[in-house]
Amino acid sequence: MDPATSRPAVVIDNGTGYTKLGFAGNVEPSFILPTVVAVNESFVNQTRATTKSSNWLTQHSAGVMADLDFFIGEEALTRSKSSSTYNLSYPIKHGQVHNWDAMERFWQQCIFNYLRCDPEDHYFLLTESPMTAPESREYTGEIMFETFNIPGLYIAVQPVLALAAGYTTSKCEMTGVVVDVGDGATHVVPVADGYVIGSSIKSIPIAGRDVTLFIQQLMRERGEIVPPEDSFEVARKVKEMYCYTCSDIVKEFNKHDKEPGKYIKHWRGTKPKTGAPYSCDVGYERFLGPEVFFNPEIYNSDFTTPLPDVIDKCIQSAPIDTRRALYKNIVLSGGSTMFKDFHRRLQRDIKKIVDARVLASDARFGGNVKAQPVEVNVVSHPIQRYAVWFGGSVVASTPEFFAACHTKAEYEEYGASICRTNPVFKGMY
Amino acid sequence: MILLQSPSRYLLQILSNRIQNLEKGVELDCQWVEFDDIRYHIQGSVKNPNVLLLSVSLPIPPPETVLFGGLPLGALEAIKAAYGVVAQILDPPRDGFNLTLKLNLSKLPPDEEHKHSLLTKIASVREVVMGAPLRAVLKQLVTRTVPSDLGKPIALVHRPNESFFLVPQADKVTVIFPMRFHDSIDTVLATSFLQEFVEARRTAGLNNAPPCLWSPSPPQELKEAFTDALSANAGFVSFVIFPRHVEGRKLDRTVWNLSTFHAYVNYHVKCSECFMHTRMRRQVESLIQVLDRAKPDSEKAKRNSPSRSFKRMSLKDGNNSLGSRSWK
Repeated sequence: MDPATSRPAVVIDNGTGYTKLGFAGNVEPSFILPTVVAVNESFVNQTRATTKSSNWLTQHSAGVMADLDFFIGEEALTRSKSSSTYNLSYPIKHGQVHNWDAMERFWQQCIFNYLRCDPEDHYFLLTESPMTAPESREYTGEIMFETFNIPGLYIAVQPVLALAAGYTTSKCEMTGVVVDVGDGATHVVPVADGYVIGSSIKSIPIAGRDVTLFIQQLMRERGEIVPPEDSFEVARKVKEMYCYTCSDIVKEFNKHDKEPGKYIKHWRGTKPKTGAPYSCDVGYERFLGPEVFFNPEIYNSDFTTPLPDVIDKCIQSAPIDTRRALYKNIVLSGGSTMFKDFHRRLQRDIKKIVDARVLASDARFGGNVKAQPVEVNVVSHPIQRYAVWFGGSVVASTPEFFAACHTKAEYEEYGASICRTNPVFKGMY
Repeated sequence: MILLQSPSRYLLQILSNRIQNLEKGVELDCQWVEFDDIRYHIQGSVKNPNVLLLSVSLPIPPPETVLFGGLPLGALEAIKAAYGVVAQILDPPRDGFNLTLKLNLSKLPPDEEHKHSLLTKIASVREVVMGAPLRAVLKQLVTRTVPSDLGKPIALVHRPNESFFLVPQADKVTVIFPMRFHDSIDTVLATSFLQEFVEARRTAGLNNAPPCLWSPSPPQELKEAFTDALSANAGFVSFVIFPRHVEGRKLDRTVWNLSTFHAYVNYHVKCSECFMHTRMRRQVESLIQVLDRAKPDSEKAKRNSPSRSFKRMSLKDGNNSLGSRSWK
């Protein structure tokens, strides 16, 4: 028997903003790191230009050393702040890996310096967004099997894992709509009995990062004194610490105007260059930030469909026999659904749309046929922020998991194309 | 980044989180595995937030090593010396583990600096346990006590079913690692990596580093003692440790670096593969550029249109227009 199956699998959920990593069977990921790599690129061009000079050997070895000179996660952010030799690179954009070099380095550090495990000893579960092209899945497989020599790999679709996360708390419910609002991408994905209904997936070009940008813009327009190089980070912190969802914008504005002392928060920081302290007020952006999901027109004139409408449209485009079940189980996942009362607001708005539709159909039939009311239920749980990771941990700790993986032997026999298919759903693609 | 750190990052994170939120006292139960198949399990309860149970399981020992009650020689003493009243060894250990420590966080020293250094020490529990016999031998070197069994090699476990060897002498200790790798590419890379290692030792800047040798066949000292443990597909590396390498504070670092040498090589083999891929990718990109430039114009136009069929999310356009607007 493969000894690796007796060890817990490594579960890594690479998100645009944060990467969640840990071992299967645990309740929480071991680490939640910003998906960022700080690379020292000062040698990349230099070595090429001066290869003919006499001391090319020292130059060469300096270049080789620069390969090892990089940091990931929080360390990367602090390093890039304190010195100018490091360039930040975000390997994942909008849920898709777009810089494989940085991604490979990121994984390398995750495995060796954070989890400190030997990749040859563990099966791996990685996640991908539902929109990932098969080519990039192949690339992932290639890196995992070639560079890290892992014994087995399973690439799971994030929303399915988010559903699986709810699987232990209540019953075995694998039908539902997953509203995955990450940092870089928002997807509304209907899943019926564990199968993603691919044709009904709706994507919204508004995600956590847009909330941050919007807050940054609001603060800049109001004239808060925040050092420009720091303003994005400050906006992100403000978003994570102070933002909440309101039930009605107008009422909320009134509340803030009446009692500014109660609602306005203060942010204190130090300027990165001089170290001088500064402080700024956090006001309307506390509720206007999350509001971009419900009234996108305040942020962006190109996309104006609110999130509840998108969810409703998504369910309406799904097969008719699944719709009731889908309305009943709308699952939130991703860090950007963590705003206070986000699920209440979402449930209320969707309920409104659905009730209006039921009323209209009742009126059309003139009271002869009474439609059964549709149950709308937005599920929220405390592990929402890393629901995908938790789902992965649940899935990877089942004994069937190891049989569902692509193994190293298969990879060596057939090549990276094995990653195009999912061994669980044979013949589905 | 180049060397592996001795304290387990996760364990340290758990411990310092626990201390910062002692009054909240959440339920804690996690397990994880580190390289060389060292498993950890930590448990804490709401009722008694000051007490944590930390269990460690060690790699399966090969037949040539000697263990005492499942632990390396001198491990118990080393634990007691390192942690004092904070940790209590439970006997028998938790099922499936070799060692269970009952950590009492209320007995930590009050001042921050000592507290932190003790927590770091707890997080490096594997160094304390696994490195105990190695440390004992190296300590004899410092104190110049002539070991009774001079020249007789000692086997110490460092990976599941694998051991490395110490040959203590009066004024030096030779440490020999048989290097084994599963993958054929890894074996080749590791072999050349290790030869490079020996080469690098000869440069002027590293005169004080321990002398290092690599050979494809087992060294003479080991041939008689351990015949069956001497299969290695990436050769044998030996370091000669002199008293100057283990003086004072250097001892800890030397013990850690030696006891995790295989993991270190493995890490760097993987790193090298990673960097080779980076270079290969860069090469492919530049070659594709050359090919693209060589293409006649008509063909270029043809290539562009079908690639549009895969429609991406319109986020980019949305963001761009926003960016330009906000700067106005």
